Amino acid sequence: MALREAALREAAMGIVLDALESLNQELDLSDRVAVGPTTPLFGADATMDSLSLVSVIVDVETALTLKYDAPISLTDDRAMSREISPFDDVATLTDYIVELISEIAPA
Amino acid sequence: MDLYSGKTALVTGATRGVGRIIAEHFLAQGASVIGFARGEARLTGPAYHHVQVDLADPLAIQKAFLGLHKQVTSLEIVVNNAAVLTSQYAMIMPPAAAQAMVNVNLLAPFIVSREAAKFMRKTKWGRIINIGSMAVSLEPMGDSVYAATKAGLSTLANVMAKEFGPMNVTCNTLGITAIESDMLAQLPRDKIEAIISGLPVPRFATPADILNVVDFFASEASGYVTAQTVFLGGVN
Repeated sequence: MALREAALREAAMGIVLDALESLNQELDLSDRVAVGPTTPLFGADATMDSLSLVSVIVDVETALTLKYDAPISLTDDRAMSREISPFDDVATLTDYIVELISEIAPA
Repeated sequence: MDLYSGKTALVTGATRGVGRIIAEHFLAQGASVIGFARGEARLTGPAYHHVQVDLADPLAIQKAFLGLHKQVTSLEIVVNNAAVLTSQYAMIMPPAAAQAMVNVNLLAPFIVSREAAKFMRKTKWGRIINIGSMAVSLEPMGDSVYAATKAGLSTLANVMAKEFGPMNVTCNTLGITAIESDMLAQLPRDKIEAIISGLPVPRFATPADILNVVDFFASEASGYVTAQTVFLGGVN
């Protein structure tokens, strides 16, 4: 069980980091964001603007949807109403993705 | 030279009426066409790909796009044409009919446009064209919900034009008048003819009238034309 979750987490983190790399390819050098587990996505510490965050979310949703062959939304009511936002940083988004995937593809 | 060579266009409601006219035009002009409709395909050919989907169901639309991601690599043009019409006095309009109009005429174009934009952002090029209606301006009795959904379609395009502008994706609306179609056949002919006779150009629309504006909105040269609604026949 723990092994599966670790694999899911690694895959999810990879998808999020790929989305950040993809975003950076579209941004000017001076606007590029750090790519790592602690990169803030939303909030006071985040350096990306709202449209950039939308780009990251769309890329992650598309990758997950194709990988798991089912429409996956990261921005539904459940995500938005959480005390700790899934969009705080890469790690919290990864946690949320693992949670979603565990529900649609149980072990 | 074909107008749409190398481009992929998605047309909703492609099996009949205005949607079929537009889909056939795109095919004739060299595009690959994806038709979204509830019914079975009525167009054929190697460049036509039909997707049976209930446009009243947002999840079904998302699943249809999931399939598209596996079949096409780009999507340049979208025509949100599919619509349903129940013309009835508000006090006796069945709520289910009103709901169906909201789902197909307004919510479906929203879902289709947003999913299409995910393709278009990759290529930084796109044309989204909504098929509106003269009912928005004429506000005929019986068409409260229909006219409201079509008015909403323009607003939808105008807001999306702002969101998608940086991706070089334009969003416009073509407000058509009456054209011989299955939808028109549902309405009392004498009332339609009375409305048409009051237009600045008092005649029914032809396919050429519609395709003229579709080609304008879809053209490369119209990249600076967005958030616009063009009505046919002098309606404003």
